[in-house]
Amino acid sequence: MTTAPGTGGEHPGVAPHAAVGEKDADAGVPWQRVHFISPLVRGWIALVAILYFVGRDWFEGLFDAGSGARGPLPEGVGLLLAGGVLLGVVLLIAAGFFVAWYFTRYQVTAEHVRVHSGVIFRQQRQARLDRVQAIDIVQPLLARIFGLAELKFEVADAGESAVRLAFLKLDDARRLRATILARAAGVETDPEHPEDIVEAPEREVVALSPGRVIGAAVLSGATVVLLVAAVAVFVLGVVLGTAIVATSFIPILIGVGGAYWSALGTGYNFRAATSPDGIRMRYGLLDTRAQTVPPGRVQALSIVQSPLWRLKGWYRVSVNVAGYGAAASGEDQARATLLPVGTREEVLQILALVLPDPGTERPVELFSAGMTGRDDGEGFVTTPRRARWLAPLAWRRNGFAVTSTALLMRSGVLWRQLVVVPHERTQSLSIEQGPLDRRFRVSTLQFQTTPGPVSPRVHQTDSDVAWDLFHGQAARAAEARRRGAPEQWMKPILVREPAAPGTAPVPAGPTDVTPTTDVTPTTDALPTRDVTPTTDVTPTTGEQPVPPGTREVMPEVPSYVPAPPAGGPADDPR
Amino acid sequence: MRSEPIDPSGLEWSRVSPRYLRVRILGWLLGSLVWLVIASVPLVLRLTGVWDSFPPGWVVWALPALVLVGAVWRGLLLPRQVAAIGYAERDDDLLVRQGVFFQRTMVVPYGRMQYVDIAVGPLQRAFGICTLKLHTASPATNALIPGLPTEEGTRLREQLSARGESRLAGL
Repeated sequence: MTTAPGTGGEHPGVAPHAAVGEKDADAGVPWQRVHFISPLVRGWIALVAILYFVGRDWFEGLFDAGSGARGPLPEGVGLLLAGGVLLGVVLLIAAGFFVAWYFTRYQVTAEHVRVHSGVIFRQQRQARLDRVQAIDIVQPLLARIFGLAELKFEVADAGESAVRLAFLKLDDARRLRATILARAAGVETDPEHPEDIVEAPEREVVALSPGRVIGAAVLSGATVVLLVAAVAVFVLGVVLGTAIVATSFIPILIGVGGAYWSALGTGYNFRAATSPDGIRMRYGLLDTRAQTVPPGRVQALSIVQSPLWRLKGWYRVSVNVAGYGAAASGEDQARATLLPVGTREEVLQILALVLPDPGTERPVELFSAGMTGRDDGEGFVTTPRRARWLAPLAWRRNGFAVTSTALLMRSGVLWRQLVVVPHERTQSLSIEQGPLDRRFRVSTLQFQTTPGPVSPRVHQTDSDVAWDLFHGQAARAAEARRRGAPEQWMKPILVREPAAPGTAPVPAGPTDVTPTTDVTPTTDALPTRDVTPTTDVTPTTGEQPVPPGTREVMPEVPSYVPAPPAGGPADDPR
Repeated sequence: MRSEPIDPSGLEWSRVSPRYLRVRILGWLLGSLVWLVIASVPLVLRLTGVWDSFPPGWVVWALPALVLVGAVWRGLLLPRQVAAIGYAERDDDLLVRQGVFFQRTMVVPYGRMQYVDIAVGPLQRAFGICTLKLHTASPATNALIPGLPTEEGTRLREQLSARGESRLAGL
């Protein structure tokens, strides 16, 4: 029973929710409830714990009864009492679950998703659909058994999910995701038949074999820790002449095992796909997760190679997405991972999804130089030689390169890292110089992006170059934002007849706010501003509406030339 | 204001109110006094004979001396630190600079600003100054302009909001 009658709002005890400022058009949209058994799926641990404790007590009581430890109560009364208490507790919990379930309702209208919850402390929350940063469908193991799924709707509030619907039937969750994405994309939908919205097709780009994931875990830092610990324990044991030291190995073993397990659990069966709705990722061993990151939501991206992965030429791709927040827990870290382990070709394929236009003629060579190169090949600018003592190992690798669409930042010798920030995603940037830096005439540039695992930085670069980059980047970011794609990625956009993206004048004056660039300005940015329909924008002469992209048709998978070798991009050595 | 090596050329920096220096000095005096009192506790205990012989003599003297030297050093640095704070409004972005030894200049595009904060503490209110803070979608954006005269802070806030609205962009 997922659909409650539309009269839920009139239920006694439920405050009228007109105060939120809903439009009349939204009145007809039915309020719905999550699946009936979801509290059970959510609270199963508590239930099991209570059953365990009560059950154990009762079970032990069976054996203690003979010894008379139970006290003066006759056998039958004690059992009855225990049974009654157990029943009462279970009923109480069930009632709590039921009330919580009953008072949690959600609604998806043309522009908002709303959730009302709580009995005593009520919460009414609404989030704008076009603010979506990412949508996840999560299936914990128990929910998977029941065929249920949790839908997470992320907006840019760094961490906490704006809307969590736990749990829906898997099909309902998928349909809801498709609806939300279609509306967020700005696709005109038939209001009479909202069920007509189909899920956008997707094309698989990268698939990881279990062997690769296991190999990546084996070659991860956990193995190094294990080896070092093993040697240390062995040496200690020999020196002290006692085997008791070996017991200290157990917690290390547990920790390393946990690391392996989480690497396996979050990388197992990893699939990355492209669709008109953005990048899709699905993975998971016991708990499965399907993430969708709409176009233009990736704020920064990093490609990291740990020392042992160099043996196999593997990389990990992590991203900052505004909705995911700082990757504190293992689960968050997995969410912010676009590719847990991939070859250079797969990394380039993922890069092509995130950055369809690399802004350079030689993307493959450039990104390869960023991933493994050193010195000033492919337009990289590195730390000057005079400052090599500030970074004796990394100075030849620390560097940056600018393309017309993104900034590449390279660093690290043992842990090689390449960070890519699209120009239009820079929030702010700062230039820093300490006394030592000043002595060597170098500066460090730091880019601020939304919270996440990636922190873009240009280490110790020549001060004059740094200032050029600082000012240049500020200008490039401003220009990229002006010509940036609309947040509603399927909205029809107006394009000037002679499309000359490189030559459009850049308005600079503070008074120049009229849309003279070739793309109409994004109609939404700050929470206070309402969406203006694109049709209301008066087209200036020479502009023609471009037909909106169709969500139903799968566009070509973007990839960088030279194209990856035949056999598809997902040439996984299986 | 004095030009620093890290300054970009051709920029007119606005500097903060000289009253901010007085606020900082007051705060510095208060803070230094508290620390000095805390650091002098062992010395007083030794001199009054409550503690005998345990902390060696040089330790009880060195502790407040060190705190004193540190306080004097920070005090001497204060005018330069305040003088190093500057901001510049450009067409598309706001520049904020700070720091004497560890210099930092930050550029915040108007279109990236999510909101602007003005904070006034009791001491700041007494001196008629305020602190302006810019927030973007990144918590790491630590663009802070302390020590603005209240009317200048209000003007800047209105100006930034207006410019932010006309140049707004998504995330």
